[in-house]
Amino acid sequence: MAPVPRTDVLLAVFGGPHRTDLVSTTFRLAHALLDRGATLQVWTCGDATGLTRRSLGDSKPRNVVDWTRDHPSTAAVARGLIADHPGRLHWYVCRFCSDERGMGDQIPEVRRRPPFTFHEHTQAAGKALTLGVC
Amino acid sequence: MTTPQNPALVLVDRAYRGSVETQFADVLYIIRELNRQTGGLHLALRGHAVTYAVAAPEYEPSVHLGSRTLDTLPDPRRSVRTMLDEGATVWVEEADLQRIGPKAASRLLPGTRTAAPGELALRWFSYSQVWFM
Repeated sequence: MAPVPRTDVLLAVFGGPHRTDLVSTTFRLAHALLDRGATLQVWTCGDATGLTRRSLGDSKPRNVVDWTRDHPSTAAVARGLIADHPGRLHWYVCRFCSDERGMGDQIPEVRRRPPFTFHEHTQAAGKALTLGVC
Repeated sequence: MTTPQNPALVLVDRAYRGSVETQFADVLYIIRELNRQTGGLHLALRGHAVTYAVAAPEYEPSVHLGSRTLDTLPDPRRSVRTMLDEGATVWVEEADLQRIGPKAASRLLPGTRTAAPGELALRWFSYSQVWFM
């Protein structure tokens, strides 16, 4: 198992999507940190593990009143952010939470980790911020 | 559009339930379609959802994420305007409107109506259905 890389910040996303603007805040915060040159880990737990599940594909289902417009999935957005910052953004997904919710099949750009390694990730980050609760 | 004699009432009071993950598919997306299928419904905005009917300076609901500009975020004010154009009746709870600022009432989108506390509940019997969404 590869060691957890040392990063400036860990964003632990415990809150779920489609409830508040927490997921948007997560992406914006990640972008802002990376834009300033920081290194970053994102760790998702609970329903947030679904943000990067493979079955989302690249796009959301079509909008029936705007049929030709592409609406990227959160998996595509996360994949793009990771690709834009090679070696500086590491995205981890809680294995237990994703298995429990049937979302274990994840995009290859993220790594699933056993839940009890979370402490190791907090120790590898200069600062840890949690967003929401499971 | 001919408004049905006993339209449905749809109440929304929980606003802003996601942007990057939601995009076009916010709560108003399905309500707009219900408006079309029912021939005209009444939408009541309460809580923070009253801001959907308050005009704001022009802005583009988009966000930069890495090299991507995501410009398909929800735009509830635009959706409310569209629903008004398509014949929906939009109510805004006065008390919740006052809570967001003394000038908010003067910035309501044209065509919206305000409801006093309890006013809509007293009218429930006149609606064919009442939905909380």
